[in-house]
Amino acid sequence: MREFKWSDKQVEDILKQMPVIKDYRNPEEIYQSLSTRSKKRKHLTWILPSFASTAVVVIIFILAFNYQNWLHQPIYHSAEQKSLALVKNTPSNLHLVNNETKFDSIKKIVPKNFNRRTVTSLKTAIYKENIKNGNVFTYWIPDIHGQILVPISIIVNNPGNQSPWLNLYNQEMNKLKEAEWGLSDFYPLKATLKYDHQDNSVIVDVPANHKYGQGADSESTFTSVLERNLSSNSNIKKIKLTTNGKPGIMFGNFGLLKELDVKGEQNHSYFLFFPAGKVTPFLVPSNESFNDIKSAFESMRKNRPILGLKASIPHDLIFKFTSIKNKTLFLTVQSSPNLVNNPVNVYTYEAILLTAKEFGLENVKLKNLPFKQLGPFDLTKANEVPVAPNFCNIENQP
Amino acid sequence: MDSVFDDLYKKYHQDLFQFLVYLVRNKEQAEDLVQEVYIRVLKSYRNFEGRSSEKTWLFSIARNVAIDSFRKQKGWKTKIFEKFDFSSNQIKDEDLMPDEITIQREEIRWIYKSLLKCTINQRAVIIIRYLQDFSIIETAQILGWTESKVKTTQHRALKILRQEVENLRLKEGYEDERIQVER
Repeated sequence: MREFKWSDKQVEDILKQMPVIKDYRNPEEIYQSLSTRSKKRKHLTWILPSFASTAVVVIIFILAFNYQNWLHQPIYHSAEQKSLALVKNTPSNLHLVNNETKFDSIKKIVPKNFNRRTVTSLKTAIYKENIKNGNVFTYWIPDIHGQILVPISIIVNNPGNQSPWLNLYNQEMNKLKEAEWGLSDFYPLKATLKYDHQDNSVIVDVPANHKYGQGADSESTFTSVLERNLSSNSNIKKIKLTTNGKPGIMFGNFGLLKELDVKGEQNHSYFLFFPAGKVTPFLVPSNESFNDIKSAFESMRKNRPILGLKASIPHDLIFKFTSIKNKTLFLTVQSSPNLVNNPVNVYTYEAILLTAKEFGLENVKLKNLPFKQLGPFDLTKANEVPVAPNFCNIENQP
Repeated sequence: MDSVFDDLYKKYHQDLFQFLVYLVRNKEQAEDLVQEVYIRVLKSYRNFEGRSSEKTWLFSIARNVAIDSFRKQKGWKTKIFEKFDFSSNQIKDEDLMPDEITIQREEIRWIYKSLLKCTINQRAVIIIRYLQDFSIIETAQILGWTESKVKTTQHRALKILRQEVENLRLKEGYEDERIQVER
């Protein structure tokens, strides 16, 4: 038999002659299957949440019995305060005992992760009155599929602002509990963040073997997280990127990047995001910005199934009239058959408050509602917009 | 139909499909994966800032999609089948050879078969470089590697292809001779 061996050149030539293999499906067929596929994936993804939803129904059912009582209760920051107030305000200790029993029964049903905020308050965000002497920090964390970034906010005690904010920010990111919250394990960042006084920028330094440049998803998530973290917590406008102290970070798709601009985009609308198995939603802003607040509110009526975001405003909740005076947004609500005083509508209200904040507004006043109190919100007056979305407690709880 | 999808389809669909078919060696799976590519692309299209070319960005997503798919397969295969030493992978692969390859001359079929001996990364480099005609720099961007890593991987892949083609040629040649003797 004739002996021969191919050279690299011959292999390369044959490789270039490999036949074209075509997809003969038409584009409409493919496009249709994209939406079917998203729905299918959604079904699978929502198996756990469906259990969680059942739990929500049970919780709402229990809450309904005691609703009038706890709606008007103030938030107590310590057990002592609570005891004092209860002794003062209640005719007998029997009332206290009853309330405690019911609260405990709720706690038994509610999953552990539900307790990321005060159950009785139902507020998910941080408001001025919650801060005291602390600093509020927001960390943007990718969801488990890396599709969206969820802003998580914490309060860190810093009396007199003694510690520089970036030091605290770096220090606290070690305590984030992404897994417990149903999000991706993303922190602490495998990078150091240092403030550069010379030009009010932040230097982000990664080690030579960093993984943030591997793949389009990874690098865009990393750069978006940096931009949003600094935009949410500071007035920094520029991020300088370095690798082991040398200028630039090499990304697979972006190439060598030496700087990022912190654009600080606003005018987003807020949606509800339920991580798998969780009953409390996170309020998550849209990727896109809107020209006016009305179109932002309109966008909030539709689910975004590909991203796993749920509409935050019910279809039948119609704003009849909208006006803005002295940074206060006035919304007149047309009566809605399904508009009831329940926790889901508290999330709707917070989504409206957070969206109003995106447009530079400071207060929101709802008119023409069938009730005066919505969860913890007194609707007879204008309510302040939150300081930051999605409060999470990072201190160890018993 | 979404205008972004329409635009991407017209410009890149057949190239993406070709890339995935050669990478996963299964047309049905490639049809499935190319849809996953679109889902990921459409969801993050707004964030694409043009720092790399649109085409390299799409291919990098396609490669990630394929790798995720391999990981999933590996997961259940490892758990269920590998313990029992199933050795039917090679046969299965030949069964799945696309018609477009089956009808080609033997050198083309040898190369197609030999690609199976390459690792996924080596196969990706070969497809991107020679079937899709990307430059070394573009290949590095798609794979998120350095240019030197692309060159090294390409060199090793070509060596494996040469060796395996030689093996196949000898094997088929030997079988031809034996048939002649028997006659």
